Amino acid sequence: MNCVELQQSLAEVEDGSTLEQRAHLRACPKCSALLKELSLIVASAGELQASDEPSPRVWNSIEIALRREGLIRPQRTNHNQRTPLPSFSARWGAARWLVPAAAMLLLAVGIYERRQSLPAPTHEEAAVLTPVNLSGLNDDDLIQEVAASAPAMQGQYEENLRRVNESIRDAQSLVNENPNDEDARRSLMDAYQQKSMLFEMAMDRQ
Amino acid sequence: MSAAGKDELTEPRQKKATELSEAEAIERAKLGDAEAFQALYDKHKRRVYSLCLRMTANTAEAEDLAQEAFLQLYRKIGTFRGESAFSTWLHRLSVNVVLMHLRKKSLPVVSLEESTQGTEDDSPKKDFGADDTALAGSIDRLQLQRAVDDLPPGYRTIFVLHDVEGYEHNEIAGLVGCSIGNSKSQLHKARMKLRDLLKMNRAEKAGKSRVG
Repeated sequence: MNCVELQQSLAEVEDGSTLEQRAHLRACPKCSALLKELSLIVASAGELQASDEPSPRVWNSIEIALRREGLIRPQRTNHNQRTPLPSFSARWGAARWLVPAAAMLLLAVGIYERRQSLPAPTHEEAAVLTPVNLSGLNDDDLIQEVAASAPAMQGQYEENLRRVNESIRDAQSLVNENPNDEDARRSLMDAYQQKSMLFEMAMDRQ
Repeated sequence: MSAAGKDELTEPRQKKATELSEAEAIERAKLGDAEAFQALYDKHKRRVYSLCLRMTANTAEAEDLAQEAFLQLYRKIGTFRGESAFSTWLHRLSVNVVLMHLRKKSLPVVSLEESTQGTEDDSPKKDFGADDTALAGSIDRLQLQRAVDDLPPGYRTIFVLHDVEGYEHNEIAGLVGCSIGNSKSQLHKARMKLRDLLKMNRAEKAGKSRVG
């Protein structure tokens, strides 16, 4: 067996344990070094398993999709576990539904507009499509709520809020530039829907 | 039954997601419990994401694929009966998600070459081992990661499945749709290519340090 044959044979018997392989390896330091190096690569490869952490965005997207598909169902809450801070729902009462309601309103307006196929939106319509006043609800409230009820999730929520706000800003600027752009309007409504979902999830964590 | 065991039965909802056993989390996830879904995700996210990242060498694609793998898992979790290990089920599903993605992108999941004989490009080089930058000691994980990313997609798939994830050649042959001989051949070539890439990397570093 020569060096080329030895190298080819390693595909079938990778540890060089056949009689022919062993005879060649004893006589050839280069092939012997090659086998050691390949073994080192194999031994190191295991370190690549589970070596990387996904960004928080992945779980947030999964959770949003699970809720959208109805796979996450409301669970019985444990009322004995109270946080020292007043809860989001306690502070905002019925107003806590304004954000999801605003998103649904935007969706309904969008569907209505598409059906009507108006050539260009009026000022009133444009006003409806701009970000609504969330009746005082803001991102800080959401983060404060998450910090109180699920501190471990705070980073994920902050990151997801940042991304969804970016999406809203981008989509809004596209709508402002071209109010007839159906895709931009749809993107804006999707972004608001995602934001409303985040608020819903925060409230569900209580 | 121990007191602790009784508590587990009577107050299952009081457990934090991180305290759930895998079996408990699976049963609660079947009922639509958000914390259970998250507990399962937290337990397996690194393995699934790393698999996706190694096989695609692209962070954004890996995130999307990890998301898709978990979503598929959760949609099917009601059918899980525990005959096979949950992690085995999830990882097999993740591999299939990635392979499907690679096929959609028309990337080769494995080379078409079927025999263990090398092609002209891949045939054994007579001067292998001639350079003096030996891979002695240990291999830095980041260097190896980069080298794996630089492998041709077909080689990368087989290397990740066999050497990183621990699949056998017969399993790989079934997963990617090739012969066992082809899987062995591709793996050997992938390792040889990795060795070249790692040596080149070391030689570059050595050159830089000499200049510096």
